[in-house]
Amino acid sequence: MSTDHKPHRRPAEEILADEFLQARSRILDLAAFLDRLERAPGSTEQESRMRLLADGLEILCDDEVGKARRVQLLMSRDYDPAWQKKYGIH
Amino acid sequence: MEYIDPHIHMVSRTTDDYETLARMGCVAMSEPAFWAGFDRGSVESFRDYFRQLTQFEPKRAAQFGIKHYTWLCINAKEAENVSLSREVIAMIPEFLSEPNVLGIGEIGLNKNTKNESTIFLEHVDLAVKYNQQILIHTPHLEDKYQGTRMILDMLMGDSRIDRSRVLVDHVEEHTIEAVLENGFWAGMTLYPVTKCTPQRAADMIERYGPERLMANSAGDWGPSKPTAIPDLIMELKRRGHSRELIRRVVYDNPVAFFSQSRQFVPLENS
Repeated sequence: MSTDHKPHRRPAEEILADEFLQARSRILDLAAFLDRLERAPGSTEQESRMRLLADGLEILCDDEVGKARRVQLLMSRDYDPAWQKKYGIH
Repeated sequence: MEYIDPHIHMVSRTTDDYETLARMGCVAMSEPAFWAGFDRGSVESFRDYFRQLTQFEPKRAAQFGIKHYTWLCINAKEAENVSLSREVIAMIPEFLSEPNVLGIGEIGLNKNTKNESTIFLEHVDLAVKYNQQILIHTPHLEDKYQGTRMILDMLMGDSRIDRSRVLVDHVEEHTIEAVLENGFWAGMTLYPVTKCTPQRAADMIERYGPERLMANSAGDWGPSKPTAIPDLIMELKRRGHSRELIRRVVYDNPVAFFSQSRQFVPLENS
């Protein structure tokens, strides 16, 4: 990609120290959201969006890189390379 | 630090916002034509809207020392109405010589339909015919990846397009690489919930470098933060990045991109 920059890179320990509380807060927000769903009447168990959320959380916990990109793609509609032919657009 | 917001919808903001932005360092902005929050009924609605963008908003901005530029189009959401879209596209040339018009935008896709794609291509034809730059809206949320790929297909399939004069906006982690790899400019939109945060934008700057990369607030009538670029500046400073890197993203890059429009006046001459 770009070769004309030398970005400053913070050490991992510094990032963790700086951002741990924010990450903790976001995990709590998710936990509270799931508790809210659990307490509410009715069921969302079969809702496809619940599957998306569960799959998204699995991405956060796996050992692969590029988590943000993979969560984005998980939450995205598929791209069809043949779309122009189907639409009659060239 | 002085900065430029390359994508902000000031028609939806109060005059107080102009003052706040000026105090926070904004010296120029560009405002693409967009959806009003409802579907407009006629081409005359658009004519009035374009008058607002080319005559009223520059005066409102100038009160606070901000240079206001604009882009013209019928937005992707209303492009589903093909007949109205064609009337608007036919009317746009009336405004192209206005002193603050930078080009055609924000054109793009919304739900990635055939009608939207058809009208997108007709806007591209207009831009090529009148030698205009192009500013592109990529769809929101689950439609973004598919829509961005479709937009890039259409642009890359057109040999008339100078990719260095095209800004593909609202990029995120799953779309930025394709935009930059293929020679286009990329805009990161700092907008709550549905788009990007200053932290994720800073991550993308670190990962891809500042070349052909900009950030914007896309402040509009929804929950948004017109002061989002100063938030990005603070985040980059907090991470220890150089003044030169930060200025490149928030000032030099917008100037470099907009300077390709004949209507753009170098800021020191404004």
